[in-house]
Amino acid sequence: MQLTLDYNETWLHRMNPAFKLVFFLFLFLGLLFIHNPNIITYVTLLPLILVAFFTGHKRKLLLILMIPFLLLFVSSSSSMIFFGQGTTTWWKWGLIHITEESFYRGLHIGFRALNFALLGLIFALTTRPVLLFYSLTQQLKVPPRFAYSFMAAVRILPMMVEEFQQLKNALLVRGVKKEKGWKRITQSITLYAVPLLSQSIRRAHRIAVAMESKQFHNGKRTYYYETRLSKFDGLFVLYIVLGVVTMVWLGLEVPTYEITDVRNSD
Amino acid sequence: MKRLKLSDILITIVIALVFGIIYKLWGPVYNLVKPFGLHVGDIVYGMWFIAGTVAMLILRKPGVALLAETAAASGEFLVGSEYGLSVLLYGIVQGLGTELVFALFRYKRYTAFVAALSGIAAAAGSLIMDVAYGYILDLALWNLLLLISARVLGGILIAGIFAYFLVEALEKTGVTSLVRPASHEDFKALDK
Repeated sequence: MQLTLDYNETWLHRMNPAFKLVFFLFLFLGLLFIHNPNIITYVTLLPLILVAFFTGHKRKLLLILMIPFLLLFVSSSSSMIFFGQGTTTWWKWGLIHITEESFYRGLHIGFRALNFALLGLIFALTTRPVLLFYSLTQQLKVPPRFAYSFMAAVRILPMMVEEFQQLKNALLVRGVKKEKGWKRITQSITLYAVPLLSQSIRRAHRIAVAMESKQFHNGKRTYYYETRLSKFDGLFVLYIVLGVVTMVWLGLEVPTYEITDVRNSD
Repeated sequence: MKRLKLSDILITIVIALVFGIIYKLWGPVYNLVKPFGLHVGDIVYGMWFIAGTVAMLILRKPGVALLAETAAASGEFLVGSEYGLSVLLYGIVQGLGTELVFALFRYKRYTAFVAALSGIAAAAGSLIMDVAYGYILDLALWNLLLLISARVLGGILIAGIFAYFLVEALEKTGVTSLVRPASHEDFKALDK
């Protein structure tokens, strides 16, 4: 969600947002059917190229955004590497049992997580939320009640941030002391979470009443932004199809690991 | 069936988006506790089920839990979650779990016990996704059991008990009377 970030518009921004969402979901499901670690390693290059060259954002920002991905890779692969089942033992120490099978399965899960993360980043960096909701109602026939609720709710969030600052200042002026340890949690819930939530519920209720009194309804309507499919959607599909075919071929012909299926065979 | 009105949907989504932001911030927390403690860190996973329970306890209408969890996941996704698209599908399945429990009680019971059960159901949903996504069935058995118990315990504690007390605190502000359908007790009170 880039509200303030500086970026150049690229062809990825011009894709139809609803189409992008559905297509990405298919890619997600497709990735679940790849069990060959060679293939998934090569496939990771596809979203990586898009993130690096076609999101239109500054390199520095992209690098900062990708730092958590390393942590993600380690955290998603580690338990499988250390505690997964397998027969060819590499290393055993107490509870930790690293086998060849579990190692590659862990690596596979890590690459999978990386793929999802990169695809998610592409989507988040190149999609304007408002256009996404417009296009969901126009292309996928999502009821306007849901789409417009989303858009209104997104606008409430900055107000909550403002309110949070206000609360903080008010408590500071009144000399409220921060509790220590577990009490800190209960304190921040009663002092911050409850008022912030209850206020935004009231606000949401008022907005809904106002919308309905101004004749917001679920029927046929016209749109300020018209969203359509374009050649950029075709271009993206072409990139993915050609890319996946190439990477699968590479994975089969030029494998980097010996294992070709990470599922447990017994 | 009580159909969701515009105000129900809007309030559900606002609550969900607030938790969506928390979901996003929760990612690094989880990734930090996960690699060390043999899945014990999965206790914090329960935070990712909380939107459904909280919204359902507040609004008490069919469909609210599923909508809230899905919306929270979309919010998390749109602000650039490091889990990317997977959060959307996880959100839907977890929301279905929560929704199912409240449906089993025919949307009539909203106690801490039912909330805890809904936390368990959401945990089950997330585990089903993990079987497909993270091959968790190929973990050593003791490790898998540890994962399941930590996840379920987290569901009960955070998405069940904690959510229940959060909503109870909200009730004291009177905001829930704004959104809940009139209950049987309300009608009885009129007869007095």
